[in-house]
Amino acid sequence: MPDAVTELFSAPLTFNWTLSFRCNFSCSHCYSRDESVDELATADILRIVDILVEKQVLFINFGGGEPLIRDDLFEIADYAVGKGLNVSMNSNGWLIDAAVAKRLRASGFHSVGISIDSAEPARHDDFRNRPGSFDRAVAALEHLRKAGVRTTMSSVISRINYCNFRDLLDLARDRRVAQVYLHNFKCSGRGFKNRQDLDLSAEEWKAFYLEALQVKQQTGDLLISFDDPVISSLPGYDEKSLVNGSSCGKLSLHMRPNGDITPCGFIPLVIGNILRDDFETLWYDSPILQKMRNKEASGKCVECGAFEKCLGGCTARAFAVYGDFNQPDPHCWK
Amino acid sequence: MKNLSRNPDIVWRVEKRREAEIIKALDAGEDVSDKGSVILIVSGMMHQLNLVGGRIWTLCDGQRSLDDLVEALSGEFEVERGELTGDVEAFVDDLLKRGWLKYA
Repeated sequence: MPDAVTELFSAPLTFNWTLSFRCNFSCSHCYSRDESVDELATADILRIVDILVEKQVLFINFGGGEPLIRDDLFEIADYAVGKGLNVSMNSNGWLIDAAVAKRLRASGFHSVGISIDSAEPARHDDFRNRPGSFDRAVAALEHLRKAGVRTTMSSVISRINYCNFRDLLDLARDRRVAQVYLHNFKCSGRGFKNRQDLDLSAEEWKAFYLEALQVKQQTGDLLISFDDPVISSLPGYDEKSLVNGSSCGKLSLHMRPNGDITPCGFIPLVIGNILRDDFETLWYDSPILQKMRNKEASGKCVECGAFEKCLGGCTARAFAVYGDFNQPDPHCWK
Repeated sequence: MKNLSRNPDIVWRVEKRREAEIIKALDAGEDVSDKGSVILIVSGMMHQLNLVGGRIWTLCDGQRSLDDLVEALSGEFEVERGELTGDVEAFVDDLLKRGWLKYA
């Protein structure tokens, strides 16, 4: 059944691909640390790359888990880049030394994102439950820069950093990072368990975004990105997308280590498996995706003038807290 | 005459199913000028090109000049040659100014 999304897009633009849930870290907010599934063999992964190329997916972003945990990451990246895909990844940086950075460059990674959650080393290390992780993350940025790899920095905004996000931007500038992603906090996995300690109140989110959008407008030397549809009605928000609301299930999909596809990494609903199911049937006919693409206003969204733009905000958060895509985003301050 | 090529930093794809629908609508006499069939990702921002713009974009592979584009398009669209030349020139000029196309 065609909808506004599938009328235009015959496939997602991006696949966020978790090659492994394994990780050398144990972070307080991780959506996947407690997950465990069988991982695919390299040959199956390369077969998936072929499927993605055939379906004209443009970008794959390896996440995790820690992508570098897999010994075949470079082989997979080499293959995907050779097939014309635009490949990037997110890493905690621990395993990236000078040699690995050079290998990432040789594999053709378009960019590598390093997660840093606080500009204060002790606070980052505590959040990541790994002493020395801040220094290793910063060193990874340096190794990547020297190797000629475009670097980005990912910071999940939470109670530990929302008052000091400018320090994160200064750190990025200092390390000559091209782009900073200030990710919204998702209450999935450990993020849900630790929500009381880490999440902000709706009013705090509003205050943070108002300030952060202002900083973004005043910043010319660093790209600052947000991925939170709840901000679309705020002054200073000027991003134009071809879709409104969450981009998950519309512009992007997520793949688990066994080939199962979910709308995004934070919504644990499997719509099918890329190796077993016909991809076009999943993309066009999945009842889960159709529900996400055709959200109906409920609760306070019914009377809200912003609904047309934000479509109820982050679908993953609404689902995590209320078990219903159509409920208002719990971060919404309206 | 110099050949035109796309900025290699721009990631793009033709939405083939969409394109087929638009061609069907065009054949039925509908105005399809605001319907996009090619998606471009430019510095993280998404843009759409309509059917004619998308065809021009696709043809700019570094092997064709502006005259070659007009020649190729004249066989695909029923438009008076002078009008087509003017439209192609204006479109290419706009994309050159944006840095999306360049002369190879």
